[in-house]
Amino acid sequence: MDLMVISFAALLGLYMAWNIGANDVANSMADAVGSKALSIKNAVILAGICEFAGAVLVGSHVTNTVRKGIVDPMVIAKIPGLLQGEAAAIIVVGMTAALLSAAFWLHFSSATGMPVSTTHSIVGAVAGFGIVAAGIDSVNWAKMGQIVASWFISPIAGGIMGYVFFKLIIKFILGQEKPVKAAVSFVPFIVFIVSATVILATVYKGLKHVTGNLEWLTDNVTMIFALMASLFFAVISKLWVKKVLKGKSSLSIARQLEEVEKVFTPLVIISSCSVAFAHGANDVANSVGPLAAVVHILQHGTIEMKVGVPFWILALGGGGIVIGLATYGHRVMKTVGTKITEITPSRGVAADVAATITVLVCTRMSLPISTTHTLVGAIMGIGLARGLGGVNREVTRKIFSSWLITVPAAAVLSMILFAAGRFLFLEKLRLLIIGG
Amino acid sequence: MGIIQDMFSGSPFGPLVEHTKKVHECVEMVRPLMEALAHENYLEIDNLQDNVSKLEYEADLLKQEIRSRLPRRFFLPVDKSELDNFLRCQDKIADRVQDFAIILTLRKTKLHPDLIDGFFQLVDQIFQVTGSLLTAAVELDNLAEVSFGGAEARVVLELIDGLGEEEWKADRMARRLSKKLYSLEGKMDPISIIFHEKILLALGSIANEAENAGDMLRMMLVK
Repeated sequence: MDLMVISFAALLGLYMAWNIGANDVANSMADAVGSKALSIKNAVILAGICEFAGAVLVGSHVTNTVRKGIVDPMVIAKIPGLLQGEAAAIIVVGMTAALLSAAFWLHFSSATGMPVSTTHSIVGAVAGFGIVAAGIDSVNWAKMGQIVASWFISPIAGGIMGYVFFKLIIKFILGQEKPVKAAVSFVPFIVFIVSATVILATVYKGLKHVTGNLEWLTDNVTMIFALMASLFFAVISKLWVKKVLKGKSSLSIARQLEEVEKVFTPLVIISSCSVAFAHGANDVANSVGPLAAVVHILQHGTIEMKVGVPFWILALGGGGIVIGLATYGHRVMKTVGTKITEITPSRGVAADVAATITVLVCTRMSLPISTTHTLVGAIMGIGLARGLGGVNREVTRKIFSSWLITVPAAAVLSMILFAAGRFLFLEKLRLLIIGG
Repeated sequence: MGIIQDMFSGSPFGPLVEHTKKVHECVEMVRPLMEALAHENYLEIDNLQDNVSKLEYEADLLKQEIRSRLPRRFFLPVDKSELDNFLRCQDKIADRVQDFAIILTLRKTKLHPDLIDGFFQLVDQIFQVTGSLLTAAVELDNLAEVSFGGAEARVVLELIDGLGEEEWKADRMARRLSKKLYSLEGKMDPISIIFHEKILLALGSIANEAENAGDMLRMMLVK
């Protein structure tokens, strides 16, 4: 019976992860596919690998926040007049309801073409269940405030970084007298920054999930390792750029710009992969956070605070995202790939790098943020730096209005489902938990 | 779904460059029209005029397309009204070419042999003016690439800088030709003189609009 409930919750987690994969992933690889740097098939494969790696290696921090940061399990445990095991049962029902409602909401909005954040959905849903279960005070409003603030800060931070990064590309490469020569000396810096960010995020605490505690892996060793590896990639990229652009510096500036843009094409593949990695790291929590809470309670029968997220749960979430990608993201990418894109690889790289850094930093700080919105923010920053042929006003408005709708919609849906679930299953679950 | 893509769709710069190319096609009709007139091939003039009219219409459609996009965008790298001004001036070049073509169809006139060379020199000079403007305008795509700054912007500005002088040369040529035309008073019938004068004015206004468009382009770039 325990196993059945866990399987059911796992299935829901998988469904949610599938939605995340289907919904978001086209955005992380959009720049690469749109600028024709990658075929759709290869984009799906690469995104799958990077999403999975990000989810498993770095995903646990945010998972803990979703699991116990928004609705404090201890507050539920202290509700007066509860029977033995009832608090645990409430959390199981509530987290399941939250998972189901967020997934429904996502599925519905994907079908209607609304750009909705998976993160906002799950946070809203978890908060919704908490309010019904134990009143307004059960929600950890301090943490919730932090999360909501991060939804505003992360696009702004992404925007500022996109702006600065793009300005740097313009100043040091594209605006130069000889863009080709400038590219040879400046592109390695970009490669250095991208690889340093990804490696640091992966190695710093991330590897523990796979290898266990490594004594020799101190912070200093990590730092040196990341910098050395990034330096290595930068040198390789320098040699490669030099080879590609050899003898092109005597062309007219307009032609040189085209050649430099070609150098950015493989870079945009790498930077899109890093966005996919960051996306996996941050967004896997949206599916496995509630699942981890349910599994933990059913396995131990108690509400505890200090337990890590099991590896298999992260892998399940990562796997679900990959399945979503493979079954549905494929179709999404096809529409993206056939549309005329007006984002050139140099913009793509700038936006990707800004978004990756922002998302990974927020992931480290255990803040669940929206990868898509951060990317949108980064793009806006580039627009502000006069880097785009403008941005479509309607689409921008749609994104902002979906910000406002998502949290209440997911919360209300989750309240209803939780109330229904409490009525139908609570007693059975309680007995199950005491019995087991 | 694919919102990142949707955000960018509908940039005005792609169609703007298309518009430039269309206007250029229009201007390329000026010389064949002049040749047809010199050879007194009036049927050909009618055909060419149809062609110009079609091109001008297509340019108009592009203009409207761009205009419909402008108000719906955030973060345009250039000022909306300046972009619109430039577009209007560029479009006027096509209008003036059409005016010129229409004048030629109005009357079966024979060009005076003393003036033919002068007319062709003037046509070539005008082509020089419009040519440098349109070469600069076609770079708008690349200018967007460098966010309207740096070395590429300087190159484009240099192209436009020559415009004023070229236009002034065209003006002077037209004036000389005008003088020559009036000196033939008595040897030509007055209606023919009026007609020649009309052609001269039409040609001059093509160069004039090109210069205006160049000024607008500069306004857009220099910030």
